Amino acid sequence: MLNPGLIAFCKRHRVLLCIAFLVVFPLLMPFKAIAVNILIYGLFALGFNLMFGTLGLLSFGHAALFGAGAYACGIAMVHFGLPWWLGIIGGVVGGMAIAAIIGGLAIRTRGIYFAMVTLALSQCVYFAAYQATSLTGGENGLRGVELTRISAFGLSLNFVDPLTRYYVVAAFVALALFVLSRILASPFGAVLEAVRENEARARACGYDVRMTRFVAFVLSGAFCGLAGSLQALHLSIVPIETLYYQTSGLVVMMALLGGMGTFFGPFIGAGVFLLLENLVSLWTVHWQLFVGAAFVCCVLFFPRGIWGTLLMGRAR
Amino acid sequence: MEGITLDLLILQLFTGLALGAIYVLLALGMSLLFGMLTVVNFAHGAFYMLGAYAGIVLLGFGFNFWLCLLFVPLVVGSFGLLCERFLVRRLYGRGIDYPLLLTFGLSYMMVEVVRIVFGTQGMQFDTPDMLVGATDIGIGYFPTYRLFVIGVTFAVLGALWLFLERTPYGLIIRAGARDPQIVRILGIDVARVWLVVFGIGTGLAALAGLLAAPLQGASPEMGNSILAEAFVVTVVGGMGSLVGAVIAGLLVGVVVAMTSLLAPEMAQVSIFALMAVVLLIRPQGFFGRAGLMS
Amino acid sequence: MSDIILRTEAVGKSFGKFRALSGITASFPRGALTSIIGPNGAGKSTYFNLISGAFAPTSGQIVFEGQDITGTPQHRYAKLGIAKSFQITTVFPQISTLENVRIAVQALVSRYDIWRPRSRLVGLVEQAGELLNTVGLWDRRDRIAGTLAHGEQRALEIAMALASRPRLLLLDEPTAGMSPEETRAMMDLIVRLASERTVILVEHKMKLVMGISDRLLVLHHGELLAEGTPDDIRRNETVKRVYLGQREH
Repeated sequence: MLNPGLIAFCKRHRVLLCIAFLVVFPLLMPFKAIAVNILIYGLFALGFNLMFGTLGLLSFGHAALFGAGAYACGIAMVHFGLPWWLGIIGGVVGGMAIAAIIGGLAIRTRGIYFAMVTLALSQCVYFAAYQATSLTGGENGLRGVELTRISAFGLSLNFVDPLTRYYVVAAFVALALFVLSRILASPFGAVLEAVRENEARARACGYDVRMTRFVAFVLSGAFCGLAGSLQALHLSIVPIETLYYQTSGLVVMMALLGGMGTFFGPFIGAGVFLLLENLVSLWTVHWQLFVGAAFVCCVLFFPRGIWGTLLMGRAR
Repeated sequence: MEGITLDLLILQLFTGLALGAIYVLLALGMSLLFGMLTVVNFAHGAFYMLGAYAGIVLLGFGFNFWLCLLFVPLVVGSFGLLCERFLVRRLYGRGIDYPLLLTFGLSYMMVEVVRIVFGTQGMQFDTPDMLVGATDIGIGYFPTYRLFVIGVTFAVLGALWLFLERTPYGLIIRAGARDPQIVRILGIDVARVWLVVFGIGTGLAALAGLLAAPLQGASPEMGNSILAEAFVVTVVGGMGSLVGAVIAGLLVGVVVAMTSLLAPEMAQVSIFALMAVVLLIRPQGFFGRAGLMS
Repeated sequence: MSDIILRTEAVGKSFGKFRALSGITASFPRGALTSIIGPNGAGKSTYFNLISGAFAPTSGQIVFEGQDITGTPQHRYAKLGIAKSFQITTVFPQISTLENVRIAVQALVSRYDIWRPRSRLVGLVEQAGELLNTVGLWDRRDRIAGTLAHGEQRALEIAMALASRPRLLLLDEPTAGMSPEETRAMMDLIVRLASERTVILVEHKMKLVMGISDRLLVLHHGELLAEGTPDDIRRNETVKRVYLGQREH
């Protein structure tokens, strides 16, 4: 169906195409806030997919990494009065730190146990944040992550303006995409593939499987932490639900919907999910019914996800 | 910390056992599904919630609570059968992730349908008249209904044990849990066995929901938080192990009850902390088979 | 006495109450092709798994080049100079044949580099290509490994094992499930490999290894029944009774 010349063109200029897409994207959306949301959850899903798609480990505790990023960024700005960019760095470090703790404990387990252990540990983080009211605001969430103006490189940007806000977030997401593609193309990326494909052989080749998983989990934490801190800046509040296990479920859903075996799949899954949620919630409050149904259909009929199915069709 | 007497501790122990009984019923179903079908049922909480609402509906039809105890598991279990037959069954052999994700989506739908039918507000569920009040258990008064929950759970455990140990069907199920290949070689219709197992598992979840309803009311979200706790119980006991589910369920119930007496702010964390500790010492849980980890 | 590369001292393994292997003491001379044989259930695979570090022995010691390696984690074996092929074929099935070997070669140079492109690692592809040549898979280099024939996958596995430039190569029933032609090619390859390094081979079919082995170890019921040259083993009455007496299949 698609012209092979066009595909070759897309492949050669994929970086440019990505940037072009990120520039045009908000203009295609019904409103800008949803475009920002899609970027943030897309980044979250990509970070998650580093474990699920690339390494084959299903984590049900990624809400903790995302939430840790959001809270670290928020706490740095609200309680310590640090500038926004230190907040973001704090978010990335926070995501990695929680990932190191959860990963360090969970990496001993595999398969379904890994999913369950990460779930339980992330619930620990949730309840800890729930109790630590003075730091996190507890049940009410962490309020007052205000950012109105960004001054960088002699520019002063109005972060309240939706389009400006979008492009600031897009810049971070583009950077993260670049880093992630480097990781996947690196020698470590090859080790990840090897471990996913055959653990015993990877070990016999001389790779430390546990350590590899641990490093991947921490890297995943960096991306999810970045997504979380962008989320905190975008919402100017960190709701406690960010850490709840249903957030983990959400990101699994997005990755699966888009296609977890592909690079862009999770991103596209996040986009489709959020658009669907928005459109359906315009005419019914019971959008969860349709989202659930879409999810069930996806598992039954398109296990490769939207993007994965498209790529398959192209390959044929 | 003052005012905590031995009697109080023992009473709290009973509270923990009652809570644990609910966990046991949930974890039994979950473990059965996992051990037999390698399905991690993320809709287990939703079936639990359906149990409570099915009870409300049946009571509305004029059933009494005792009939509900019988019919709620049957009705919800039948719905579970349908889910297995038309949805989950298509995913066997496709790894552990897909059934998990399917049931996750399914739980979204079930919760939302209940919201549409019964509203987003929770509903009250009255304790049956006969079981209102408290009973003297020697060291003090204990709510009769909680004693009843413990009793029903042990009765169900006994019945399940008899079913698994003494009936030909139970024999097939136990053999199938150990090695599905053998059952297939023996020429037994495995699909039918799995169907029944799914029905039993979801029926047990529904019974747990019905029993929990008088204690905490019914709400569409009631299954969400208990799902995570039921997972913990199942994992601590060892996935697929029924004995493990019983012991871990009671243990977790008691741990929660004790921490909420001694250090209330730690009550919810304690469950997950317990699990982390158990898994660090024994990654496969109390009675889990190490092989299931991969 | 010739140089000893590997020695096991009274290594035993129990699974619960079941004693799969009772204290086996044996030495493997450097440069030799030693085959471990024995009827089904003799403990060959258990012994192999202990030597290759798949699991730790319940008792005893394993000494490699004078160094006690008992309980060393599996992933360190490549660095020690020991490589193995599994009884069940294990390659990276969805990756190309060449990349399979390239990943194996990469383990020596780079494990946690997350930044440089993997194509920037100089010489790996060339080394991988040479290894594919050695096992006769060069013209299959672009095929996805999972689509190779069974015999080819086993050869690929050996190429991957060779990537760490092992001084000791361990092979667990390398001809299992192979057609007669594939078996012959594999035996040729093993003889070729054994001319350059020490090889320890586990084999169920005694006939296959009698001709090519320098030494044989015969296991029976978890115990070392006999060891020696193929001629010694052929003449050994006990071996004849428990092993040669059985019809091979």
